[in-house]
Amino acid sequence: MSKLYTFLKYFFITFWTVFVVAPFLWAVSTSFKDFQSVNSKVTYIPWLDFEPTLEGWRVLIKSPAKGGVDIVEPYFNSIFVTCTASLISIVLGTLAAYALSRFTFKAGFVRNNDITFFFISQRIMPPIVLSIPFFIFLSTIGLLDSLLGLVVVYIVLLMPIAVWIMVDFFNRVPKELDETALIDGCNPYQAFYKVVLPNSIPGLIVAGMFCIIFGWIDFFFAFILTFTEVQLLPVKVVALNSSITPWWSLSASALVSVAPLIIVAFIVERYLSKGNLSGALK
Amino acid sequence: MEEQMAKIDLSNISHTYNPIDPKPTYALNPFSMTWENGKRYAILGPSGCGKTTMLNIVSGLVRPSKGEILFDETPVTDLKTEDRNIAQVFQFPVIYNTMTVYDNLAFPLRCREFTKEKIEERVKAVSDTLNLSSFLNSPARKLTADQKQLISLGRGLVREDVAAVLMDEPLTVIDPDLKFRLRRNLKEINEQYKTTLVYVTHDQNEAMTFAENIIVMDQGEIVQVGLPKDLFEKPKTTFVGYFIGSPAMNIFHSTVSSDHEVKINDTTIKTNSNLGNLKDKNVKLGIRSEFIELAEKEKSNTVKIKLTRVEDFGNFKLLTGKMGDLVIKSKVEREKPIPDGELNLYFPPEKCCVYSDEKLV
Repeated sequence: MSKLYTFLKYFFITFWTVFVVAPFLWAVSTSFKDFQSVNSKVTYIPWLDFEPTLEGWRVLIKSPAKGGVDIVEPYFNSIFVTCTASLISIVLGTLAAYALSRFTFKAGFVRNNDITFFFISQRIMPPIVLSIPFFIFLSTIGLLDSLLGLVVVYIVLLMPIAVWIMVDFFNRVPKELDETALIDGCNPYQAFYKVVLPNSIPGLIVAGMFCIIFGWIDFFFAFILTFTEVQLLPVKVVALNSSITPWWSLSASALVSVAPLIIVAFIVERYLSKGNLSGALK
Repeated sequence: MEEQMAKIDLSNISHTYNPIDPKPTYALNPFSMTWENGKRYAILGPSGCGKTTMLNIVSGLVRPSKGEILFDETPVTDLKTEDRNIAQVFQFPVIYNTMTVYDNLAFPLRCREFTKEKIEERVKAVSDTLNLSSFLNSPARKLTADQKQLISLGRGLVREDVAAVLMDEPLTVIDPDLKFRLRRNLKEINEQYKTTLVYVTHDQNEAMTFAENIIVMDQGEIVQVGLPKDLFEKPKTTFVGYFIGSPAMNIFHSTVSSDHEVKINDTTIKTNSNLGNLKDKNVKLGIRSEFIELAEKEKSNTVKIKLTRVEDFGNFKLLTGKMGDLVIKSKVEREKPIPDGELNLYFPPEKCCVYSDEKLV
């Protein structure tokens, strides 16, 4: 029985690993191929099956005038929009979450939990519902097709995540901690940033991670709200596709787009495995 | 920055947590009390009787629905917690996880802008008292639960000039041996620095050994304030009689038969209480099991009981007997021979307390 169990366990783990990793390996391998090796016969191993070339990668930084696709600018646009929106969302979201966790709000039948739900309900709605209002809103204030406009929209999308995670986190920080800080002589603001906030760093990291991931991978709003002036990375990558699919540069650009997320995942994973999170959540 | 410790007056304080309710339930019923400078007080009572609410009102975490708080005759009711100069220790350790032990202890002083030398001196003194000196540079979150509670306690004691140190069952998580030592330390600190200490507990032994004055509370009401001896010998209500002492006070339904006598199941018991205006009324007679004596033969103020159980506690024996359907408990010396079956118990009149409507006559 236990042997069968072990066999099944390893079988499924192996299966799942292949399932997850294979597309990556495929992308890595394809990014070094040229037109010939992609379109002739099925090849896998560089130097044996095909002659590797860096052409797929080179076009990414070449300007369109020289036959390249230049994803450098969209790349930095994406970094700027994601980081700015995440940072603002975390700051505002944390303040909102602290208030929701520590004070009691009443307005008619609305209570703290309803307000928290109201925040997260923004994410429950299908994005398509929000697209027309956002479009009209941005065109009214003249921010359509601009980085600032995207930052505004992304804050609306990311702040609910920050609020939601941080409310839950602050609720687990005993209120005696704030009270002790008050007794020790802090005013409420000092109690927040000297005592509660340093204790909430793990929560901030998790919230930050989610904001960065959701900001970075968004294609829908970046696609709808920008045209020619600015382009974000996901839109640019999709736009690479043409009548003849350039699999090599498409693979290379896909790899460079997931790279930041892999780095974020590694940092957070290190932090998680150090036990810093679990200790703070007790 | 040097402030004097204060006399704390609680004047007509009452508190409810649902003030908009037309018929609010009160966590604290109106009361007035004075905490003298430099004394040790224990607030004793079952869970949910309003002890913690009282502390939070004094420290300013809760604003009382009615009444006023004065520190040295100065009203502080509207003063914020951080401006009150009170130290409070909670039941469970509250530490600043991200700081070292030293920084935890120094935090209250830093917030109040003490000089570096003063901070160093005070932290050293407190950490010595609490046996924390060897951990000063470790991160506070790495310590065990009782060490963490020592840090909380240390943060309460590190300021010499506080109006009072309020402690809400602070020794719950600490092991018995250390508990005993810490209680003695707290007493010493109080004697040395003349800091007013207020100690909330539901453990009567803790209260009795620690405090000069005990405040007994029940259901938001202050039932009795007094010395441990008074609480033990002359409980003002049957609740105090039940709550204080182990076993609880013996309390019997009885009827007043004359100016100084009550009847329990046809046995007349003489007391020192003046019962003139309660004649023929139903009252309760209370007597501590410690004060009931074994009598060799029937005489006045003895009751005859049927022995049902003898428990040996090592230093004393606890006899449980029945008179009709009444259960009587008596503590006797261990060496005393206990006759089998029926025996006579003597109720010394000066130790008998008579309660009418649950209150001492």
